[in-house]
Amino acid sequence: MANKKLLLSIFCIVAAIQLFVPAKMIFDSEDVIQTGKEFKFKTEPVDPNDPFRGKYITLRFEQNKIRQLIDTTWKEYEIVYVILTHDSAGYAKIESISHFEPENTDDYVKCKVNYYDHYNENYVYLEYPFEKYYMEESKAPKAEITYRESARDTAQNTYALVNVKQGDAVLRDVLINDVSIKTIVKQQQEKENN
Amino acid sequence: MNLLEDIPELIKANVISEETAEKIKEYYKSKGSQSQQKIVIVFSVLGAILVGLGIILIIAHNWDNFSTSLKTVLAFLPLLIGQILCGYTLYKKSSNIAWKESCSAFLFFGVGASISLISQIYNLSGELSSFLLLWLFLCLPIIYIMQSSVASLLYITLSTYYLGEACYWHYPNSESYYYWLLLLLILPHYYHLYKHKAHSNFTTFHHWLIPLSIVFSLGSIANHHDRFMYLPYATLFGLFYIIGNSHYFKTKKSSNNGYFILGSLGTSYILISLSFDDYWERLRNNSYVFSEVMSSPEMISALLLFIISAISFWKHKQHVAHKEFNLSSIVFILFPFIFLIGLYTKIPTVLINLLIMAIGILNIRKGAKTDHLGILNYGLLMISTLVICRFFDTDMSYVIRGILFVSVGIGFFLANFLMLKKRKENGK
Repeated sequence: MANKKLLLSIFCIVAAIQLFVPAKMIFDSEDVIQTGKEFKFKTEPVDPNDPFRGKYITLRFEQNKIRQLIDTTWKEYEIVYVILTHDSAGYAKIESISHFEPENTDDYVKCKVNYYDHYNENYVYLEYPFEKYYMEESKAPKAEITYRESARDTAQNTYALVNVKQGDAVLRDVLINDVSIKTIVKQQQEKENN
Repeated sequence: MNLLEDIPELIKANVISEETAEKIKEYYKSKGSQSQQKIVIVFSVLGAILVGLGIILIIAHNWDNFSTSLKTVLAFLPLLIGQILCGYTLYKKSSNIAWKESCSAFLFFGVGASISLISQIYNLSGELSSFLLLWLFLCLPIIYIMQSSVASLLYITLSTYYLGEACYWHYPNSESYYYWLLLLLILPHYYHLYKHKAHSNFTTFHHWLIPLSIVFSLGSIANHHDRFMYLPYATLFGLFYIIGNSHYFKTKKSSNNGYFILGSLGTSYILISLSFDDYWERLRNNSYVFSEVMSSPEMISALLLFIISAISFWKHKQHVAHKEFNLSSIVFILFPFIFLIGLYTKIPTVLINLLIMAIGILNIRKGAKTDHLGILNYGLLMISTLVICRFFDTDMSYVIRGILFVSVGIGFFLANFLMLKKRKENGK
C-alpha cells in the first residue's frame, strides 16, 4: 500500500510536469504577444508539411541578411541576436546583429546563421525562428497559390506579423495587403463552392 | 483431437483416473484464460495506439474555425484524459496488464498531441527533432511508473526516429549524443523485462527493437573518418552474435533472437562487402594522421564496443564447452588486425575471402551435425555469395568460374538431399 501511495505521488509529479511544459509554452508565447513589440516582415510563402504538427507554409523574409565588414567571425548555424527596428514604410529592418544578448533593448530575436558569404559582399544570412505558419490542411496549398498570384502584381505586398520580446518571437499572422491569408483563402474557397 | 471432449471416454476405459481428469480440466481452463487475456491486451493496446494516432492526425488538420482559447483547451484534453486513465489504473487496476499498457500508450500520444497543438497555435517552428526530444523526455517516466512495455516500445521507436531526424535526414546534422542518453535511460526497464518477464512477448519485441535501433543509429557517429565505420559495426555485430549465443538466448527460437539473427547477418554482410579490393585500395591510397584517426568518434566507439565485446566473449567462454565455438564470434577480434594490415598491404582481401569460406564450411558442418537445414543452407549461401562476388572482380578464366558455379550448385543439391535422406532413415 505504501508502495502504491509512493507510485501515485510520483505519478502526480510527472503529470504536473507534463501539464506544466505545454502551459509554459502558452504563457511564454502569450507574454510575447501581449508585451512584445510588433514587427511586419516582408515575406513570400511556400507550402511543405510536418508529419506531427500538420500543414504549414514556410516564409522567406526579405530582411534575412545583413552586411558585415568589420566582424568576420560568423559561423554557420551559430546562434546570434538580431536587433530590429522599423524602416520608413513601417516594415521590420535589421539594425545590427550580435554574438551576445543585447542589454539596452528588448527588440531583438534569437536566430541561427544560415550562412556567411565571406567571398562576396560579406553578407550574413539569417534563419528566423518563425518561418513556419501553420494552416488548416486544405488551406495551406491554396495559400501558396494565392501568394504566387499576388506576387505577380507588384502593387500587392505580403508580410508576416511578428511580436518580438527579448529574443523570443511569436508569428501571429501572414497578411496580403493587410488582409489575413486565412481570410483570403476562406473567401476563395467560398467562391469556388458557390 | 480435443482432449477435453475425450476425457469421459478415457475415464471409462480406465486410462486416466478421476483425479487426473480434474487436473487436465484445470490445466486447460487456466491456459484458456491466459490466451484470452493475451488477446484482450493486444486489442486494447492496438485500440489505444490507433485512438492516440487518430487524435494526432485530427490535430494536424489544424482547425481554423476554432478560436485560440478553444484550441488551447483542446490541446490539454488528450493529455488530461490520458493522465486520469493512468491515475485510475495505478489506483484501481494496478495488476491489470491490459489497462496499464493501453492507458500508457494513450498518455504517450496525449503528451505528443498536446505539445503539437500548442506549437501549431503559436506557430512555434522549432526543429522537429527538438519537439521529439521534449516528447520523449516527458514520456520516459510513464514507462517506469506504469511498468509499461508498450510505452517503452513506442519510446524506442520514437528515439530512433528522433535520431534519423537529427542526424540523417536533414542538413545540418546535429550531434546524436541525446539518442545514446535516451537509450541508456530505457536500459533499467529492459533489464527488468530480461530478469522478470523473460518469456513475455513484450520482452521478445525488445530483443528485436533495441538491437535494430542501435544498428540504425551507430552510423550517426561517423564524422571525418567514415571509412573506418566498418570497425565499430563489425564489433557491434560481433557483440550481438555473442549475446545471441548466450545461455539466456540459446534456448529461444531463432525468430525470438534478434541479437543472433542481426549479429550473423551483419557480420556476413560486412565480410562480403569487404571481400572486394576496392575498399582496401581506397584505404591504402589515403594518408592518415594517426592521432587524428585514434581520437575520431569512429575509433573511440570501436574501442568501447571492442572492450564490451571482449568482456562478453570472455564471460561467454567460461560457460561454454570449447568445441562449441563458432568462428563468427571471434571475427570482431580478428578485424582490427586485418584493418591494420589493410592500411599497408593487399593481404586483407585474401584473409577476408578465406574467413568467409571458413565460416561457410563450419556452418555447413554444424548444420549437418545438428541436423539443421537452416544452418547448413546459410553456410552454403555464404560460399555461393562469395563465389558470385568473385565472379565480378577476378581475372579467372570463364571455364574455371563456370566449374566453380556448377560445383557450388551441386553442393547445394547434394547437401540438402543427403540431409533429407538421413532424416528419412532416422525416421524409419
